[in-house]
Amino acid sequence: MEVTRAAIVVLVVVLVLGGLFFLLRPDTPDGGPRARSFDVSIEDGKMSPEEISVNRGDTVMLRIDADELTEIHVHGYDVEQQVEPGKTAEIGFEADLTGRFEIEDHETEEELGVLQVRPR
Amino acid sequence: MCARPATAHGFGPTYDIPIPLWLYLYGAAAAVVLAFVPLALSTRKTPVADDAYEYPRFDLFGIRWLRNVFGSRLLLGGLRALSVFLFLVVVISGLVGLQSGFNIAPTFVWITWWVGFGFFTALVGNLWPLVNPWGVLFDWAEGLARRLGLRAGLGLGETYPRALGIWPAVGFYLVFVWFENVFSGSYVPRNIAFFALGYSLITLYAMSYFGKETWLRHGEVFSVFFGLLGRFAPTEVRVKTPNVCLDCEACGPGRCVNCYACFRRVDPDERELNLRPFAVGLRLPERAVPGVAAFVILVLAGVTFDGLLETPLWLEVVRVTPVDQTLGVMLLPMMFFVIYLGFVRLSLVFGGGEGASFGRFAAAYAFSLVPIAIAYQMAHYYTYLLIQGQMIFSLISDPLGWGWNLFGTAGFDPRYGVVGASFVWYSQVALIVVGHVIAVYLAHSISLRLLRDPKRAFRSQLPMLVLMVLYTITSLWILAQPIVK
Repeated sequence: MEVTRAAIVVLVVVLVLGGLFFLLRPDTPDGGPRARSFDVSIEDGKMSPEEISVNRGDTVMLRIDADELTEIHVHGYDVEQQVEPGKTAEIGFEADLTGRFEIEDHETEEELGVLQVRPR
Repeated sequence: MCARPATAHGFGPTYDIPIPLWLYLYGAAAAVVLAFVPLALSTRKTPVADDAYEYPRFDLFGIRWLRNVFGSRLLLGGLRALSVFLFLVVVISGLVGLQSGFNIAPTFVWITWWVGFGFFTALVGNLWPLVNPWGVLFDWAEGLARRLGLRAGLGLGETYPRALGIWPAVGFYLVFVWFENVFSGSYVPRNIAFFALGYSLITLYAMSYFGKETWLRHGEVFSVFFGLLGRFAPTEVRVKTPNVCLDCEACGPGRCVNCYACFRRVDPDERELNLRPFAVGLRLPERAVPGVAAFVILVLAGVTFDGLLETPLWLEVVRVTPVDQTLGVMLLPMMFFVIYLGFVRLSLVFGGGEGASFGRFAAAYAFSLVPIAIAYQMAHYYTYLLIQGQMIFSLISDPLGWGWNLFGTAGFDPRYGVVGASFVWYSQVALIVVGHVIAVYLAHSISLRLLRDPKRAFRSQLPMLVLMVLYTITSLWILAQPIVK
C-alpha cells in the first residue's frame, strides 16, 4: 500500500516534469556556426553596442573604432588589440567558450562592454 | 598576465549567462510540483520527540586506522597551526602587500574561505570549531598563561546574559553582509586586514570576558554561521556517555550532537565521528536560543541580497526610492523576517498550535530554510569558486604581490570554460530545486514533531509550502535576471 502509493507519486512526478521539460525546451538555433562581424565604437570608455551576443562556434570579427588610444582586452579569450583613433582595428577569434566575458580597457581595467557566448 | 584576482564589487566579474526564461519557468514549475512530494510520501505515524536523534549513522572512529588518522595530534595540531598561519598571511598581506592587483588577502578571504570553506562545511563537515583561528589563539594564550602561573587562565568569569541569545552574532553578521556587498572597499586588502584585526580584538576580549565556549556559541559569528551549515553536513561528532552532558548548557544527555565543548572534554574513547544523511542535523529538537530564527533569515536574506544587487529591479528601486545599498541590506532581512513570521502564524492557524508557543514554532521552522540558503549560495557561487578560485594557485607563490615565486606557480593562468554555460544553467536550477525539496521535507518533519498529529501537521504545511515556493522562485528569478552594474 505504502509502496504502491510511493510508486504512483514518483511516476506522476516524473511524467509531469519530463513532459514539461520537452514542452518548454526551445529548439536549438538552426544552422551551424556562422561568421559574425560587428562594428564597434568606443567613446568615453563605453562600447557601443554594449553587449555582443553570439552562439558557440561562431567565428567572430570585431571592427573597432575608438576616440582615443585604447588597448582592448577580451576576458576569457585573452585576445588583445591596440586601437588608435581614426584607424579601424580588427579582432577576430572563434567563440569556443560559452559564458559572459568582459571586454575591458587593459590600461585602466575598466569594463567597456560584454561578450556573451551562448551555448547551442 | 591578464588574469587578475577578484577586484571591484562583488566577487569580480561573473562568467555566467543568466538562465533563459524557459528554464526559469521550468524550475519554478518543478518547485511547485515537487513541493507536494515529501507530503505525499510521508508516513502517517506519529513520531516520538527523541526520534529525531535516531537516524542511520556510521561511526568512523569505530575503524581503528581512521580513528588514528583523524584523532592524531599531529594532524589536528597541524591544521590548527596552519589556520593561524593563513590568518596571519591574510593580515600581513593586507597591511603591507600590494593594494591593487596581486594580493592573496581578497581572493583567500572571499573565495577560498568564505565560499570554498562554506561549501566544504555544508557538504563534508564543520571543521571551524577545530581551526577557528581566534579559538586556537585563545587556547594558546591560555596555555601560556597557565604555564606562567595564572591558575584561573584568561577567563574573567562574567556571566553571559541568557536573554541575549545569539543576537550578538546576528549583529556581526549584518555588519559582515554589509562589508561584503555594500562597502565599496571590501576588496581592498588593507580594509580586510583592518576588519580582521578589529574583529579579532572584539572576539578575543569577549572570549575572555564571557568564557571561550559561551562566546563561540553566541557571539562569534563565523562559529554560529558554520555551525548552521554544519547541521546540513553528512558528518557529526557525538559523545557516547550521556552523563558528561548533564551540566552542559548547550546539549543534554543523549542529545550531544556537535557539542564541541563536551566533545573536547571527554576521553577519546568516548567520542564518535559519525557519517549521517544530509540535513538531519537541521531537524533536531533543541532548546531554542533567542535570535536563532533571525540569524537564519538574515543568512537567507544575505545571500539573496548579493544576487539582487545585480538585477535591473534593484537599480530601479535605488533610482526611484530613497533606499540605497546600506538601507537595503537592513530592510531586506526585515522584510524576509516579517514574511516568514506571517507564514509561521498562518501555519499555526491551519494546523492548530495550542500547547506550543509561536516563538517555538518560529525558531524550529527557521532551520528548514537553511537548505534553500545553501542551495542558492552554491548555485550563485560555484562557478566563481571553479574559475576565480584558481587564482589562489598563483597567489600562494606571490601573496604580497612583491614579485615572488615561492612555489613556481606565480604565472599560473586560470582555465576558463571549465564548465559550459548550459551545464551551469541546468546545475543551478537543479541545485535550487533540490534545496527546496529538502526544505519542504524538513519543515514537514519539524511540524510532525511539534504537533504530534499527522493530519494537523499536513494542514500546517500548506502555508509553509507557499513560503518555500516563494523563496525558491525568488532565487531562480535572480539567476534569470540580466546582469547590470
